[in-house]
Amino acid sequence: MRTSRREFMKWVSAGGISLSLSHLAAAEPVAFPARETLPGRGKLNPAIGGAGRVDGVAKVTGSKLYASDFRANDLPGWPEKTSHAILVRAPDATHVYLGMDLARLSGALKPTVIVTAADLARINVRVPAYYEGDLFCPVGKTPLYMGQPVALLIFEQFDTYDRARIALRDGTFVQFGEETGPIVMPNYAAYRFTRVAGATPDAPDVYSPVLAGWVTPGRTQASALPVWSSTAHKNEAGYEKAAVYGDQIRAEIAASESSALVLDRTFDTQSVDPMFMEPECGLGWYSAKDKALELVLGVQSPYEAAESIAFLLGETKAPFKPSAINAQFAYVGGGFGGRDHTPFIFYVTLAAIFFPDRPVRLAHDRYQQFQAGIKRHAIKMRSRMSVDRASGKITAFAADHVLDGGGLANFSANVATCAATAAIGIYDVPKVDVTTVAEHTRGVTAGSMRGYGSLQTMTALEVLIDEAALALKLDPIDFRRRNALKQDGRTMTGNPYIVSVRSLEVLDKLEQHPIWQQRAAEKVRAASGILVGTGVACVTKDYGTGGDSSNGRVELSPDGRIAIFCDHVEMGNGIGTALANRVALHLGSIADEVAVSQVGVFDAMELVTSGDCYTMDQKTQDKAEKDPRWVPSISSATSASIGAHVGTHAAAEAARVIFRFGLWPAALALWNIGPRDPRARDFAKAQWKDGQLTMAGLPSLPLDKLAAAAHARNLVTGAVAHGFSRWSWARARFPINGEQYRAEIDGLALRRGAGKFTRINRASVLFPPTDNNRMGTAYTAACGATVRVEIEKATGMLRIAKAYTAFECGQALVPEVVIGQAQGGFAMGVGYALLETLPPFEGGPGNGQWNLGQYLVARGSDLSLRDVEIELMPPLTPDELPKGMAEVVMIPIVPALLNAIHDAIGHRFAALPVTQAMLKGALA
Amino acid sequence: MTTLGITINGQVHAPTEVRDDLSMNDFLREYLGMTGTKFGCGAAQCLSCVVIVDEPDGTCHTNPTCVTSAASFHGKTIRTVEGHAKNGELSPLQKAFIRHFAFQCGYCTAGFLNEGQVLLEQLARTPVPRAGLEERIAEALDGHLCRCTGYFKYHEAVLDVILSDAKRYLIQEPRG
Repeated sequence: MRTSRREFMKWVSAGGISLSLSHLAAAEPVAFPARETLPGRGKLNPAIGGAGRVDGVAKVTGSKLYASDFRANDLPGWPEKTSHAILVRAPDATHVYLGMDLARLSGALKPTVIVTAADLARINVRVPAYYEGDLFCPVGKTPLYMGQPVALLIFEQFDTYDRARIALRDGTFVQFGEETGPIVMPNYAAYRFTRVAGATPDAPDVYSPVLAGWVTPGRTQASALPVWSSTAHKNEAGYEKAAVYGDQIRAEIAASESSALVLDRTFDTQSVDPMFMEPECGLGWYSAKDKALELVLGVQSPYEAAESIAFLLGETKAPFKPSAINAQFAYVGGGFGGRDHTPFIFYVTLAAIFFPDRPVRLAHDRYQQFQAGIKRHAIKMRSRMSVDRASGKITAFAADHVLDGGGLANFSANVATCAATAAIGIYDVPKVDVTTVAEHTRGVTAGSMRGYGSLQTMTALEVLIDEAALALKLDPIDFRRRNALKQDGRTMTGNPYIVSVRSLEVLDKLEQHPIWQQRAAEKVRAASGILVGTGVACVTKDYGTGGDSSNGRVELSPDGRIAIFCDHVEMGNGIGTALANRVALHLGSIADEVAVSQVGVFDAMELVTSGDCYTMDQKTQDKAEKDPRWVPSISSATSASIGAHVGTHAAAEAARVIFRFGLWPAALALWNIGPRDPRARDFAKAQWKDGQLTMAGLPSLPLDKLAAAAHARNLVTGAVAHGFSRWSWARARFPINGEQYRAEIDGLALRRGAGKFTRINRASVLFPPTDNNRMGTAYTAACGATVRVEIEKATGMLRIAKAYTAFECGQALVPEVVIGQAQGGFAMGVGYALLETLPPFEGGPGNGQWNLGQYLVARGSDLSLRDVEIELMPPLTPDELPKGMAEVVMIPIVPALLNAIHDAIGHRFAALPVTQAMLKGALA
Repeated sequence: MTTLGITINGQVHAPTEVRDDLSMNDFLREYLGMTGTKFGCGAAQCLSCVVIVDEPDGTCHTNPTCVTSAASFHGKTIRTVEGHAKNGELSPLQKAFIRHFAFQCGYCTAGFLNEGQVLLEQLARTPVPRAGLEERIAEALDGHLCRCTGYFKYHEAVLDVILSDAKRYLIQEPRG
């Protein structure tokens, strides 16, 4: 496999530091030609014919791919030797930190460099606002959270480091004094989402977040838990109106108890770890002479990481301020949100800065990853629901959510709002009132782990729905169907989805499946000592963030070789393969090269940005967009669920331009079709078949011939494109060859023949309105599950006897990868429901003593692999755009399992996970 | 310090002095730069770190390297993920992993590959009946953790290799 160190984009960050980023793949010479195929056109190219992933060979041969694989001597131009750092963390957040007793590191074990809070203050390190909080707990302060770093210890030699690491393993050398209790901080976010629908489905809403904006009871309220009352003091503007409607909804629910079914239930979910297989790791080298900082990192958000590091060092004193940062981003060994906006990158940076001229490696071990890696939010929920007994329709829903955000804000606000706006799942409920608050606690920081927010609230909801159906003596699927949101219905923020809504189809599939059909018979057939139960659940999950960017560059060589460059990260979700396939739809062949995690190769568009795309107002956007280079956001973080929809978008659009203004006119020339011939406009009728462009009545043309002709005629042979989506893609017109070319992109640069890329100024642009920020989501994908469990009465042991999941994702770019993700989601869901849990605070992972063994992840034997059926529903139409799906697939199996457990043993659990011990207890 | 002499992927590494408490994982990754063998948990719970140990009697088994000292491998012959392909040709199991999209992030792949390969070689020595084959595969792979895939496709890939060469791996049952 070839090294992918490419031309770097250089730009000057706010701190005056030149930044460049690139994707890092194997740096070492390769042993045999197969490794050079990534994906390449060689005979071993696994992408050809869709058989395998573009990174398949590298991954089965142990190539250096991940950040943890690289040492200084693997990297061209770096010094030979690698030094190693230990990041010391506080296992306590209720006592004053006094310092470290490093007596056990005497003699040869003494660290060469120790970095503490005082050192950071001395050189004037700045913490980016997003990561607000001390990077190191200063002596004399109580740590902000368990696992907060207190120092970096740097060792020149690996053996010294390794022996010190073993000597320090128990953590008792970090010393504490007076008990202070935990540090109290304001909450990270508090919102209220209230909607009152009009009298009929077609009537406008009386009140909704889309109409009135998102409201919060008050950032000025000083208490950790907000006062939600409409009459509370210090409410922010607009809050009171929502609160009045909300309080009214709650009063109506309470008053309806005599005539309606009213359920008032709590549900608690636990903290869990993403448990990606590769603990976080990074390598840094600061050349003091050149003032150049080199980094090797593995994150889901490379662009953000580089910018944050530049800010971190932007005002440091000489000689600690680099003039240039070159960050290289490796493949990640799993992410699931845990590597998105991770503060780990700062410590790699600091290790390098404080030990100049020596490459330093910082690697978490698994204990440290548990201690400090970003977690899933534990959420405490109280839900109230009113259902009309006659119609079986849900009339009102109210809920209150409290999220444990842990020590740093991270994505807590986003998770809280996502959880709240997902709280009514697939249903159409005319009156909804949900409050949510994400608290600071002394626990480990929680963030945007896969399925964030929705997993928790939809699990609680689907268990509640099951209980309601049984109370009303309605079939659980029929009850769901009566209440499911239809295509044009409004979500709880008051907007319809702009993509297909297929929950009803999913429900039909669940109903028809033998697991569901045979549920009564199987119960009767249960063996002695075994209780059998069947459960069902159906959910819909948003994908995208409402501010997603996509950068893509496609190049076509004279011999028809295709190269694709993309800014999104390969996390195992197969984005490289998906890119190759999506571009192939336009260019007729699988790419010869796909490079992910790129930023520097899009500079020809010369994009600029300003403001915050999530919060800016329309006037600001209208003014900014007059600059044809301006976009609301240049690059955004990668998550598996937006890989297909967002990550591949710009490259696909770039390929479309190459076809339209490169290959198509080349074909016309080869066919001797003149510009006035009506067939010259028939580009939409042309089709690729077996690498040949075909048109009825005309000879087929192979890609290489077309590419040669395009180059010879100086037609478009390369394109760089940028897309931005705020629940719909920005659209723009670009003048190309005297035409006004319209596309769902907002930035474009073209290469003609073998020339240079040149920016094409857009003639006009239509960015999605800033009011779209009021939507919870407009993109959604549906998924349902039914499962049969067998529970041993004597032991509480649960076995999944049969399970079925049906899901939709629009057009599946690489169906095998999509199914694989669904299977992985199923496994993660089972683990979440039955096994995984991290206690909060002192007994939890922040104490540094957690590892696998205590923390149980689903293994193959937990899943009944041969009895699980996963169905990928075909797209509604062949050209339906890809949808995000990596997150939704893990959700429905969780409530389905809980509902199956209730069906089996008659007990409804209201907290996760439901372990064997809990089942045994319930059966006792 | 202890002397460690070892054969890795057919290459003899001359005896060298290593610390008694140096793990085999660190020996491979830090001393030899062979990072195909992964570090996952350091507690032998995820098995992403296993290598194949070839015994003198021709049998083989996997061994975790994260909790095992390098010194304990003295005199042994092992195989790692870097050694499966021969002369540029991927092994049948490597090909099957790719064909079946068995992995996603790929960090656990080396462990599954080594475990699967050991199973294949065990079956080649002692074929088993077709019935129960899936359970045998499940048993062999069960200690290995994967967070991306849910294991399904790893199992399918191993099954595919065995069934593609059934005469080698399965007891041939008389036709009824």
